[in-house]
Amino acid sequence: MRNMQGWISKNYSFIKGVKHAPMRLLCLCLLVSVSSTVPAVTPLPPSQKVTSGQAEPFCNSGAPQEWREAGTLEGISYQESRVCDPDNPADIAAFVKGTNNISMETLMATNLAPDAITMSDDMDGDGDPDRIVIKLEIMEINGHSPDAPENVTTFDIAPGIQPSFWVFVPKMRDMSTKGFGSPEANALLRLPSPAIRIEQGDVVWLVVENTHYFPHAIHLHGVDHPYMDRRGEGNDGVGQTGGMDIMPGQTKTYVINSRQTGSMYYHCHVQSHTHIPMGMAGLFIIEENRPNNWVQTFNIGDGQVRHPSVAVLEHYAQEYDLHFQSFDKELHQIPQTANDVRLVAKAMNQEYDITESTDDYYTLNGRAFPYTLRESLIVVDPDKKVKLRVLNGHSEGMALHIHGHKATETHYDGVAQNPVARVTRDVYALAPAQRVDLELDTHDDGLHSYGSGLWIFHDHVENAFTTDGMGDGGSLSLVAYREFVDEQGTPKTQGMNLAPFFTKEYWARKHPVWQDLGEDWASFGEPESTAANSKNSKPSVAANQPETGSGFNFGLLLGLSAYLAFLKRAVIGAAIKTLTLKFKTTS
Amino acid sequence: MKRKIAYIFLTLISGLAVADQDIVDHNKLLMDHGYGHSMDMAGGMVMGENKDRLPAGCDKISEEKQFTVHAGREYAKKYPGTIFGFDQHQWQVKPCAKVTVEFINEDRVRHQWMMHGLPKNMYNQGMFHLEITGPAKITGTFIAPSDDKTYLVHCDIAQHMEKGMKGQLVVGKGSATFPSIPGISDPVIADNYDGKKLEKAVEVLPEAAAVSGQESLDVGTVLSGTAVGLVLTPLLLWFYRKYVTIENTKKCMAKLLALSVREGKRMVRLIMAILKVAFPDSTKAS
Repeated sequence: MRNMQGWISKNYSFIKGVKHAPMRLLCLCLLVSVSSTVPAVTPLPPSQKVTSGQAEPFCNSGAPQEWREAGTLEGISYQESRVCDPDNPADIAAFVKGTNNISMETLMATNLAPDAITMSDDMDGDGDPDRIVIKLEIMEINGHSPDAPENVTTFDIAPGIQPSFWVFVPKMRDMSTKGFGSPEANALLRLPSPAIRIEQGDVVWLVVENTHYFPHAIHLHGVDHPYMDRRGEGNDGVGQTGGMDIMPGQTKTYVINSRQTGSMYYHCHVQSHTHIPMGMAGLFIIEENRPNNWVQTFNIGDGQVRHPSVAVLEHYAQEYDLHFQSFDKELHQIPQTANDVRLVAKAMNQEYDITESTDDYYTLNGRAFPYTLRESLIVVDPDKKVKLRVLNGHSEGMALHIHGHKATETHYDGVAQNPVARVTRDVYALAPAQRVDLELDTHDDGLHSYGSGLWIFHDHVENAFTTDGMGDGGSLSLVAYREFVDEQGTPKTQGMNLAPFFTKEYWARKHPVWQDLGEDWASFGEPESTAANSKNSKPSVAANQPETGSGFNFGLLLGLSAYLAFLKRAVIGAAIKTLTLKFKTTS
Repeated sequence: MKRKIAYIFLTLISGLAVADQDIVDHNKLLMDHGYGHSMDMAGGMVMGENKDRLPAGCDKISEEKQFTVHAGREYAKKYPGTIFGFDQHQWQVKPCAKVTVEFINEDRVRHQWMMHGLPKNMYNQGMFHLEITGPAKITGTFIAPSDDKTYLVHCDIAQHMEKGMKGQLVVGKGSATFPSIPGISDPVIADNYDGKKLEKAVEVLPEAAAVSGQESLDVGTVLSGTAVGLVLTPLLLWFYRKYVTIENTKKCMAKLLALSVREGKRMVRLIMAILKVAFPDSTKAS
């Protein structure tokens, strides 16, 4: 205190000129409140470690170990899939042989309808079926319930993140969920709409049974298909020019007899600016015609193709479908805001303005990091070639980059590039809806590969490695050399603890990202006063203070006026007397 | 040649699709897979069928009840805002009744008549379930348990229940009614028809709720304010009368003015210095 007086007298000596002590005090008070340069050591709030909720285990798929191993079912061989959440081999067998050509036991091990895929008629006599009937349904995941605040038929893209989606699915049977007690969607019902594979020259009927509550259609982008079918009905899926949309409860058959091959695309063309981003889009691949070429009709959740076609196996050890998507949070909340289909339609079609939208979620094959690590690892051996079919399903351009590798672009939009003109590089640019086929060569020559490791790959547009702006999320995943992955498909990472990424709190922005790094005193922890639940406590503090202040001020005013009233009691008394007199005389 | 065959084939099938308007009876196509589960290759399915095993508490079948359920788009017409529906949304049977349901799906997609809550020891997952892709019909039988209870009936295809395909089977006097059954009960969470833009309900934080509930002023703070006011007022008055003379006020104001001018000058000098460092070129130019 004495120090302060000294400091004041040194700097503001003029105050001494003011004669009366109380006046001097008043001046001082004014000065101190004006200049806030009083030096003092105010202790800063200590660091606090935020304890987040229970982290999910890295792998909780519950998949039996034999699902990950290579094997044969129904005479169909399928490759090893060393990831936490591999495809069910029974599904693979059904997709390759058709639901009409497998045993009842295998069919019952899937969620497929018995008429989901019908394969018959080896028309060219080369040992594989050429008449394929593929039935699709359309469903909503993370939808609204009028009876509970929670979403129904759920599918988390990251811990606790459930935007609503509309997807094409192979025709299913029985329950949409994993069971009556579980809200979780069954394994077939998920993002993205699955990659569909046919063979060049196959006569394919793509039957869409619209089980969804809105009109839909399919446009076969890049797939060789006639504009009209033989009855003269539209076959291009565009409501404005080629035929009515498919109403709920109705069905339409699209016919395909493709002369060309390649990685193509299918998507809904009804209100396509919202229906494509809602999830109604997938890869459509036409494999080269070969003898005894049974192709895997669906690739659920995309990723590894466990039964690659004959032509692919001529050049490659493995094949992967990589579908990148981006989503605007506001759009994907709309179906969760109302149950009445008219309200949802109005909000989607008339109120939502895509030109004012920004993307918040970025997924690879339907999941964001860290869930991508459970199913979208590209597990490779050295000195092999791997075919990657990449689809940019974003609303904007993307720039895919694979650490530690330079892959070669072999096909653009399904069309082969002349081998001598092929480009080998490390960033692959894709405009929306474009497809690029990459040849990933794991030969360690310092160019194609820098050797074994856990090499991440991601879209190099920075937004894409966040989830609602929180990093590192988004669509990043790994090219994992076999020695870096254990039997259950867990990558042997050697960096930071991944557990916080497996909590809901991390993605709800409650977990200080660097608090667990390095030192144990949480040097990047949360300062105590604005503690962990800052989202909860902040508004309450802010809202409480004016409340308290106004109460005190109100009391102050009350006290002041009470005192004044006491002083002027004579005047007030007289006034009341005259008033009452006046009142009496008037009445 | 191959393409020719393909086109002939396509033509044939499209012709078939047009003719195929009648309701197909799947009851003759079903294959029995045991445990009351039958299925055919066109997607007709009966699960949890039970024609003869009596539930606990039933000495005999109390009645033989049969009803036909129509399902499809058509039945949503009566209930605005829905998309799918059943022709009826409530069915009444006696305890221990043998119930035969003929399920007619008039849509060209899958629908289900799926009932939950049956005893799990007799019915797999406590379910009786009919499923068919229309236009077609399928029939199944179960025996109602002996107690008064209301059972949920719905189509479990994602959003079909929410968008209209919800009903209930009442055994005896029944128990609680399920919410949001078209024509029978309200939803738990009602939609908002005020014409405003739809917005997702934001989670109300508990603290914020407490604040918004605090409409009246806190008595404690008001009282303490009053006390301070009562004490402070005479002091201030005394102070005012004694010291706030014109001369003193003038002096103080003059000092304050001089101070602010001095500090202002310093501030301007500081800003100029900073600008010089930040934009050396522009200052040179000027």
